Amino acid sequence: MNVLGIETSCDETAAAVVSEGRLVRSSVVSSQVDLHARYGGVVPEIAGRAHVELLVPVVEEAMARAGLERPDAVAATYGPGLVGSLLVGLSAAKGLAMSWDVPFVGVNHLEGHLFAPVIEEPGLEWPLVVLLVSGGHTLLVEAAAPGRYRLLGQTIDDAAGEAFDKVARFLGLGYPGGPAIDRVSKDGDRGAFTFPRAMLDEGYDFSFSGIKTAVVRTVEREPSAATADVAAAFQDAVVDVLLTKSARAVRAVGAKGLCLGGGVAANSLLRRRAPEVVAVPTYLPSLAMCTDNAAMVAAAGSFRLAKDGPSPLSLAADPNLFLEFEPELEP
Amino acid sequence: MLLGIETAAGLVGVALADAEGPLAGTWLRGDRRHAETLAPAIDHVLAQAGVPLAAVEAIAVDVGPGLFTGLRVGVATAQGLAEGLGVGVVEVTSLEVLAREAYDSGWQGPVAAVVDARRGEVFAARYGGPRTPAGPPSRHGPAELAEKLAGTPGTLLVGTGAHRYAELFAGAGLRVGAVREPSPRALVSIAARRLAAGEAPVPPAAVRPVYLREADARINWVQR
Ligand SMILES: [Zn+2]
Repeated sequence: MNVLGIETSCDETAAAVVSEGRLVRSSVVSSQVDLHARYGGVVPEIAGRAHVELLVPVVEEAMARAGLERPDAVAATYGPGLVGSLLVGLSAAKGLAMSWDVPFVGVNHLEGHLFAPVIEEPGLEWPLVVLLVSGGHTLLVEAAAPGRYRLLGQTIDDAAGEAFDKVARFLGLGYPGGPAIDRVSKDGDRGAFTFPRAMLDEGYDFSFSGIKTAVVRTVEREPSAATADVAAAFQDAVVDVLLTKSARAVRAVGAKGLCLGGGVAANSLLRRRAPEVVAVPTYLPSLAMCTDNAAMVAAAGSFRLAKDGPSPLSLAADPNLFLEFEPELEP
Repeated sequence: MLLGIETAAGLVGVALADAEGPLAGTWLRGDRRHAETLAPAIDHVLAQAGVPLAAVEAIAVDVGPGLFTGLRVGVATAQGLAEGLGVGVVEVTSLEVLAREAYDSGWQGPVAAVVDARRGEVFAARYGGPRTPAGPPSRHGPAELAEKLAGTPGTLLVGTGAHRYAELFAGAGLRVGAVREPSPRALVSIAARRLAAGEAPVPPAAVRPVYLREADARINWVQR
């Protein structure tokens, strides 16, 4: 069973072929990061236009690399994300499935991220706690088994990656902010400043807007502060909050492992500290599997197709789609 | 067999044409539901006509100008269908479709196809007669367009933009015709004629919507 996955929820145009639910035969990602860099963030109309230009070549490349004429099903992200971007991949996927006469299945992008460790870690043991952190997502999820999730916490304001982008922009480090802050922090003293750890001991929700304000105030008060020190202290505070809550969640649900996902999971401090802070095995996906890609969409699509069957051709894009939670897992 | 997709304005439209002309079609007002309605509408028209998708030899699509979201649904669906079938795409503009409908209804004089561009603007193209090629498509304020057209008396204005600003155009002594939305039937007629005249369809990767407006460069901090 070969599933072609298509992902266009934000600023990556991606297609991949996955066999038997987890064997990646090809995975192609065309990043638009350069198109958005001068604006310091993702511009929805620019993203929508770029997806139209890039999608067919990306699908052709994924099919060619997999050596495939026709897949057995087509899976596409239908939410959450930017509606003008989602519609491109979703519409093209329906057209492809119709013309190949194969099933079409819509995939929740968040569930896609939760399938990244399934692809990369054959020895994965459940239940897991998944920390999903990117420019768009900040979620702490309990996964009892594939397809069985419970939301533990989420951000109440900015996404974790968004905080990196905004602080990087304020410090003049460019876009995307995550890699930029990670890089300069290596030369900084993370103890030079202590930034607030919002809601550290309260539940599993996150708040990142206060730390951004604290960074601004600190730099205004001490204009001569070394940028590397400010960046390192900021990164330290964010990673501290993310891992403190993750470790507590792991203990509370009796998880057998912690998985990281999303673009922020590429952060080197987060990757280094996670195994030190958490008592159970930590799964750190490859960078390509942390960021948005279509292999995870194809894997989640294979699972959904087997569990629930194909989606109707009338499936709409849902920019605010959330994960569905198993009733027996409700807190 | 040719399959046409029309989502550039308020309608979601699908039509089939063979060598003898339009064969079957459907349309519904899309509102903001283009993505939900288009693929089922394609299925419906094929089933009604008893034509398998595999018999389709080219896809025609309205590439705009028009509403960006609707356009992208139509273009991406056309790309997906064409890619899967291994066929090409005939790109037709919304302005050509509107002018074709005016001429098909028997009008012989000049036509201005005018599409509502929102934000107080219209997209427009002018046609001298049924067989003269169009001027280049352009974007204007409606009053500016009315002023330009006043120099060509007897011009018939058609399209969503002509209807939205009907009072303004009537006040300038211009005539607004009945045609409002580009129809899938006129779309496939144009594409069928072009193919018959030897025009080669473009590969699906090369299809480009006609936006006629720079992308709005506002950052959206996506929350998901
Ligand atoms: Zn994502």
